Amino acid sequence: MPPAIETVDLVKEYGELRALQGLSLTVEEGEFFGLLGPNGAGKTTFINTLVGLVRKSGGEARVFGHDVESDYQQARDAIGLAPQEFNVDRFFPIKEVLMHKAGYHGIPDDEAAERADEVLKRVGIYDKRNERFDWLSGGMKRRLLLARALVTDPDLLILDEPTAGVDVQLRHDLWDLVTELNEEGTTILLTTHYIEEAERLCDRVAIMNEGRKVTVATPDELKTRGTDTVSVRLESTPATAGGLNGDLGAYAEAVSTAGDRLEVRVDDGGATAPQLLNDLEAAGHEIVDLEISRTSLEEIFVDLTEREDRSVTRSGTGDGDLEPGDDESIGDGESPARGDSHTEDEATQEGIAQ
Amino acid sequence: MISIGFRSLVRREILRFVRRPKNTFMPPAITNVLYFAVFGVILGGRIDEPVAGIGYILFLVPGLIVLGTISNAFENASFSIFHGRWNEYIHETLTSPLSYVEMVVAYVAASAVRGLIVGVIIAIVGRLFVPISIENGLFLVATMVVIAALFAGLGIIGGLVARDFDDLTVMNQFILRPLVFFGAVFYSLTMLDPVWQYVSLLNPMVYMVDSVRYGLLGYSDLLEVAPAAYAEFAPYASLSILTVLTVAVVALDVYLFKIGYGLTD
Repeated sequence: MPPAIETVDLVKEYGELRALQGLSLTVEEGEFFGLLGPNGAGKTTFINTLVGLVRKSGGEARVFGHDVESDYQQARDAIGLAPQEFNVDRFFPIKEVLMHKAGYHGIPDDEAAERADEVLKRVGIYDKRNERFDWLSGGMKRRLLLARALVTDPDLLILDEPTAGVDVQLRHDLWDLVTELNEEGTTILLTTHYIEEAERLCDRVAIMNEGRKVTVATPDELKTRGTDTVSVRLESTPATAGGLNGDLGAYAEAVSTAGDRLEVRVDDGGATAPQLLNDLEAAGHEIVDLEISRTSLEEIFVDLTEREDRSVTRSGTGDGDLEPGDDESIGDGESPARGDSHTEDEATQEGIAQ
Repeated sequence: MISIGFRSLVRREILRFVRRPKNTFMPPAITNVLYFAVFGVILGGRIDEPVAGIGYILFLVPGLIVLGTISNAFENASFSIFHGRWNEYIHETLTSPLSYVEMVVAYVAASAVRGLIVGVIIAIVGRLFVPISIENGLFLVATMVVIAALFAGLGIIGGLVARDFDDLTVMNQFILRPLVFFGAVFYSLTMLDPVWQYVSLLNPMVYMVDSVRYGLLGYSDLLEVAPAAYAEFAPYASLSILTVLTVAVVALDVYLFKIGYGLTD
């Protein structure tokens, strides 16, 4: 069975700007895969390339073995997309919107109606089925995007920041739902800014920055890449840590003091703590208590993307660098005009509809 | 084989305008009542001589049908595409497994249907003012279908090219409408000086209005004023050229969808 997603050296250029810079990524069938990265990293550009809303400048992209350009119909048939933007047909009640979408995917009318009811119930807005999109609350709109992605029963569900700006209850509802879908066999690609979300849901995550893949790993593997901090309160903590360096072994990557505590950064806090205590006692220090804190995934994410930024700057790949301020609009492949459209389009909706 | 996806898109497009008759069917009905009342009854009543041997109100009917049909076919396609782009819900179609040919033909077919419905409405309005008998029914239907599809296809290009709603207004009001008004809707080409007759022959709308007039009334200006080589075959030559043009425009639409012009980044 081919991978759910496979890209090789995928490139997307907007004039001088390169939103995707040779991205190679594989998502296996049945995986729950997370895509993390700051604004402008190229996450949405990557997704839109898969569904046909962005045309790649180079490289290859396949969905379940189908090339997204030469076999676009098969590739798109396999995908259900819940995008960031509220790009929903505003002329029809939401149940009909879902039926239309199902119809485009070749699902007959009767079955489309049944599926529309089913997914509306599943996301909890069935009682709003005869309302039009504009009359839904923000949370309901978000749920509808998910329902629309689900109504075609996709093999690959793509969620582009599905919990951005939603309340805690809805976030947990969505987490439960997508977990259930993944357990039923749906491959899921999730982009998110919430590290906790990726840590909680994903089998593997890719960290992207400036159109490149920084790393791919499981959340647990990623966490092992960070350092732990062993915080020790001594009976008499020295004012500075400088004198302690000679007392501790090479395992201590950094030593500092914070108030009455000594903080030692090590690779593996649990494994190193006994040795650290021995060394401190051997140096004549009396230990009052000890705490170990692991590096959060969030800290590792920031560290990795900052390290990538530094390496990009040093390597001088000027062509690929996004200018400050450009990353939001260009990196994600959205034109500013569209981004600004919501207020005006809603105002003109009724008046101009021809 | 017509796919379920294609039918779904056609139905969605048709439902969009059928459910908004106040926006889509009422305006042309009212406008044409005014045209027939003012130009036909009030002004036409003072025209003693028949135009090309036809009473003036009856002479007006084919031109007004063409005007309403092509304006509405164009407007529907351009609005539907542009509004979908503006609110980005055209992504629902673009991310679906429909082929580009299916997408385009669905938009063209639905918009042509709207144009044809408006054409029938105008014919009914005209019938309230003057008796009408159809002379060449098959030719009339073929011509109406072709010109409705042609302007639906052009409307798609308009919807893809437009950058804001004003662009759509400009296309309809400042390009389409003047060409139709100078397309022998309200007058016969035989009433013009020879120089203006030849200038008029450069206006593609003349051939559409003339073909519909031939289908409906059995009269063709082109038989009278076109160069002999063309007049011999007019209006069948007109229908043939319009058909080729329609196929070319739809092919261009498909190409634009394929390259994502105005649709994808």
